[in-house]
Amino acid sequence: MYQDYAYLIVGLPVLAFVLTIFLGWHLPKGGGFFTVLATFAGFILSFGIFREIYPNDEIVHQSMHWFASFNAGILIDPLAIVMLLMVTFVCTLIHTYALGYMEGDPGMARYFAEAGLFTAAMLGLVFSDNLLQLFIFWELVGLCSYLLIGFWYRKPSAASAAKKAFLVTRVGDVMFLAGIVLLYTNMVKLNLTLPDGAYLLQFQTIYDSLTLIPPDQLTWIAVLLFGGAVGKSGQFPLHVWLPDAMEGPTTVSAMIHAATMVTAGVYLVARMFPLFYAAPNALMVVAYVGAFTALFAATMGLVMFDIKRVLAYSTVSQLGYMMAGLGIGAAMGAFSVGVSMFHLIGHSFFKALLFLCAGSVIHAVGTNDMREMGGVLKHMKWTGLTMLAGSLTLAGFPLTTGFFSKDEIIVTAFEHGAMGFGWLPYIFAILAALLTAIYTFRLWFLVFDGEARSDYHKHESPWIMLGPLVILAIFALFMGMPSQENFYHYVGNNFEHYGVDFEELAVIGGHHVEHGAHAVHEPFIIKILPIIVGVGGILIAALFYSRWKRFDSGMVTSERDPLRHILLKRYYQNEIYTLWFAEKVVYGIALVSNMIDLKIIDGTVNKISAISVGFGGTLRKVQTGVIQNYLTAIVLGLAVLLILIELASMGVAI
Amino acid sequence: MIPLVLYVLLASAMFTIGLYGLLTQRNGIKLMMCVEILLNSANINLVAFSAYLPNVNGQVFALFSIALAAAEAGVGFAILIVLYRLYGTIELDNINALRW
Repeated sequence: MYQDYAYLIVGLPVLAFVLTIFLGWHLPKGGGFFTVLATFAGFILSFGIFREIYPNDEIVHQSMHWFASFNAGILIDPLAIVMLLMVTFVCTLIHTYALGYMEGDPGMARYFAEAGLFTAAMLGLVFSDNLLQLFIFWELVGLCSYLLIGFWYRKPSAASAAKKAFLVTRVGDVMFLAGIVLLYTNMVKLNLTLPDGAYLLQFQTIYDSLTLIPPDQLTWIAVLLFGGAVGKSGQFPLHVWLPDAMEGPTTVSAMIHAATMVTAGVYLVARMFPLFYAAPNALMVVAYVGAFTALFAATMGLVMFDIKRVLAYSTVSQLGYMMAGLGIGAAMGAFSVGVSMFHLIGHSFFKALLFLCAGSVIHAVGTNDMREMGGVLKHMKWTGLTMLAGSLTLAGFPLTTGFFSKDEIIVTAFEHGAMGFGWLPYIFAILAALLTAIYTFRLWFLVFDGEARSDYHKHESPWIMLGPLVILAIFALFMGMPSQENFYHYVGNNFEHYGVDFEELAVIGGHHVEHGAHAVHEPFIIKILPIIVGVGGILIAALFYSRWKRFDSGMVTSERDPLRHILLKRYYQNEIYTLWFAEKVVYGIALVSNMIDLKIIDGTVNKISAISVGFGGTLRKVQTGVIQNYLTAIVLGLAVLLILIELASMGVAI
Repeated sequence: MIPLVLYVLLASAMFTIGLYGLLTQRNGIKLMMCVEILLNSANINLVAFSAYLPNVNGQVFALFSIALAAAEAGVGFAILIVLYRLYGTIELDNINALRW
């Protein structure tokens, strides 16, 4: 029964967007309750659908005629339903929190309108049944992130961060679009006879025709689609927009980094997993890029002093884990989709929690700089404790959600290595896990432990903000344990609904065909190593930054240490991307393009118009405006005509 | 009775005079006069043929035409008066504000 109203999951937030943008100015709290209610209604609907389809392992598929050979459709399978549940649930909590956090901001109505549209776009992306529709919502998500990151558009840094986010993700989006075009042309070439109701670019059709498309084409398509995911999910080298996206309100960061936007890229790769699996070498790229990003971002998280930037790099790092989780599917098959998506869901809970806690701290303290905090726990018990829950989960402390989700990725990465697909993903992942624990607890200790290092405001946030924190903390801590095995099974078998034969695809992709998820027996040390590095990282952070401090960070690195310097400079990314690439290369190309545009393209048009104008200028002299001239012409013309008629009637051949 | 051809000759002569004036003159009042001559040449034709047919329709047409000419002259001279006030002349060559 709920599935008949599936379209409302997107429809209601869109309605909330329309209502708040037109009426929000006249309503209390900017009409934010519209957005909250719409998102919550979406959660109820999603949950209802989940209850209906879970017991019998069904999928929901509806589609209606759109244009020419495409349909607009709704597809809710295990992969989509877990995303729908997560997005609606987390977004409901974030919007509720925003009711308190954005209180008093003159742009509140605009905030809630854009947040509603953002949620709607993400939900639409998740339940699209074809790649083109997914792309449309994908672009809409990009637009909304631009609007929200630049929410405080009077601040130059926010405006430039929004522009940066838009432009950097655009690079990925162009690749995504190119991938779609390439896939489409290949599918058209196949001359498929489609069954009733099916159409090109529908996921079912794509899965069905994978075996027919040439493998080298598949690799190109997969790499291009992955390019889109790299842009959206902040993988190296297109991760640069993510830390800058902190310029928006903290709730926006929570939304972008936890529930929506960045997960879209991972979702895309998960959704197209059979294609990646069938394409030789594509998953290898995914695994290496993901694992490298995980480590690369974690090292930068270690040295940041802006509380939100630490979390931003942590997001980039965790997204790397998710990508790596999908990439090691080369060894694990579709099981890895379950593993990766489980981390995505868990991550969205604890990262939303961490961001909202950080927002609560910033709200109270009035600064982002951790060097000016310290000892906040005394004044903000609830925020501090919920943040501790989030940090434990992120660090992978045993029995928290992060422990189950992240460690599974690390262990499967080991199997990936043991099967001869390369050890680097595992090494990167385990190192990143250690760093994750360290930077997470460095943050927690710096903010909440010790003595106050500046004279900040001391008050706890209102309950409308704390409520969502507590709910998220409970989920972050305890969601993982009971659901893990079911989740892997449920989402991992997603593609059986489409009759995808992974063994056949493995032959095309050149993978070993593995039977069962765990074909390799990993040694005991490998199984407990994630726990060791997680707990060890927390201890290291405690020894350096907490009240039981035994060491000083100066003992490890000195001011002149090149490694420290390179980390603080963030690997010279700013120098490379902005100063060199953007200002030299892109600006140079822009100058040349501008010249071509002005001189050649505009020049041609201008020349043509100048000729027309000159010709017209000459020709209009004929229109003297003197009646007599016209009259003369008429009389003469008439006379000539009469003479001709007279001649004709006399039989003279004219 | 005067032969019809004389009327037609008179009308043709008047029409030609009117047309000649219309093409050559630049003074607004002279132009108006030429237009009147043109109209009246037509009226002569109408009345002459009407008398010869005999059919009274042509004379009715002539009456309409005269009334029309009166109205046209009224409007035309009003415009010329306004032009004279504005420009101090009714030489149409000098009144060219809207020309290219």
